[in-house]
Amino acid sequence: MRHGRDGGPRRDRAGLPLAGLALTAALALTGCTSSGYPADPDGTYDRATGGTLRVGAVHHPPYVDASGAEPEGSEAELVEGFARSIDADIEWTVTGEAAAMTALKEGDLDLVAGGLTTKTPWTTHAAITRSYAEDTGPDGKTARLVMAVPLGENQMLTELERYLDTEHPGARP
Amino acid sequence: MSGNGNRHAGRRFGRTELPPELQQAAHRAIRLEWITLGVLAVTVLVVGLVTGSSQAMKAAWIEDMLSFVPPTAFLVAMRVINRPPSRNRPYGNHRAIGIGHLVAGVALLTMGVFLVVDSAIGLVTGEHPPIGSYHLFGQTIWMGWFMIVVMLLSVPGPVILGRMKLKIADQLHDKVLYADADMNKADWQTGIATAVGVAGVGLGWWWADAAAAIFVGASIVYDGVRNVGTAVTDLADARARTIEGKGEHPLVYRAEDHASSSDWVRQAGARVRDEGHVFHVEMFVVPEPGATVTLERLQSLRDSLAELDWKLEDIVVVPVPELPAEVHGGRAGDRQAEGGMQWAER
Repeated sequence: MRHGRDGGPRRDRAGLPLAGLALTAALALTGCTSSGYPADPDGTYDRATGGTLRVGAVHHPPYVDASGAEPEGSEAELVEGFARSIDADIEWTVTGEAAAMTALKEGDLDLVAGGLTTKTPWTTHAAITRSYAEDTGPDGKTARLVMAVPLGENQMLTELERYLDTEHPGARP
Repeated sequence: MSGNGNRHAGRRFGRTELPPELQQAAHRAIRLEWITLGVLAVTVLVVGLVTGSSQAMKAAWIEDMLSFVPPTAFLVAMRVINRPPSRNRPYGNHRAIGIGHLVAGVALLTMGVFLVVDSAIGLVTGEHPPIGSYHLFGQTIWMGWFMIVVMLLSVPGPVILGRMKLKIADQLHDKVLYADADMNKADWQTGIATAVGVAGVGLGWWWADAAAAIFVGASIVYDGVRNVGTAVTDLADARARTIEGKGEHPLVYRAEDHASSSDWVRQAGARVRDEGHVFHVEMFVVPEPGATVTLERLQSLRDSLAELDWKLEDIVVVPVPELPAEVHGGRAGDRQAEGGMQWAER
């Protein structure tokens, strides 16, 4: 280190990592005490809680059957259960998958259900949940079922996943 | 021109047999680089597992992947350099280290630019990174916590290794090792920045992730630019510099002063190339008027120059009527008669 001291980039001061750690800890703590951690940039979860959950229902029996007055099927029931758990009323919009995903992206829907799987190509439009259950797809292969929420609404995503975990405890992590 | 025979004992840099303490340093450096590769492999695996959709995590992961390049380049170069010069490789294989250095620098620069642009696009278009949860032992835990923990755990290892390698890099005059150590040493910034970015996303600041990724990308670009710069100047036979590329190497002055201290030498000036670890020296000497230049005088000057430092082995001593301009600066108005570095400002 004979020549190392003069004018080299001073990036190794010991105080900075500590400051960084302290900042991280502070951020984490403020996060815990405010509305929720992780929080939603657009407040989807907070708005839906005790209010209205705007759900896009894509007709896809047996998961979502939108042929009746109210959507039915296994995923419709899961969504109803989730809405109950956060004391929300559901405002159903029966629509096609592309329209539903665009509406999610535009912030006009809070959740889309309709037999989506982990193979869904809509990852640029929506945040996809972890798979909550497995089923056999039309090609005979295993399909892993998911739902979609708005991109970056991480509290909404995490809370929905939490609910799906409790309803389907056997599902994969 | 050198008089050594076929000595074969331990590690060598081409023609240059290393003194024992440098043999040890070389062995330690090799061991440290293997440890670095091991630590990196674990880091890349674990970070890859928790990366998800975070841009900052992706940036940190790519940086970890790139960190494989310098240690690998170093280890390969150490093997290649071990071979002595041959008829086909008359200057030895020292340039391997420079080539490794350049490859590492270009890789860093390219990926850094890619990351900065990619993250900037994400920031401008307002991409909100989705970070969901993980189901572990019956608990649903936000993925961000795993990311933060992994990033903070990845901080100490490289910093410690970097500091250890930095010392050896200076001893061995090895620029790849130096660049690698310097990057490792600064690696904590990546870890902290990424952790802060993810923690910010948790607060609902969607932009924190992309901002952290830009910071990480910029630090990679910085490393890249610096490494490409020094690698290119070395390969282009620039004047030998100290390991961090700041100042001229003092050994050049020492060699010139030593040569001109011979009683039959009036002036001496050297053209020194940094071959990687060792220097190639062309020592131009202007004899005193009336002094006879004998083979013995030239040979003994060559041998005494080689004894100055282990880095000096491949030395040519050339008697000339006057020093070439480039040897002592070569600026306009520079008077050769007053040349020789011992008259220059230090």
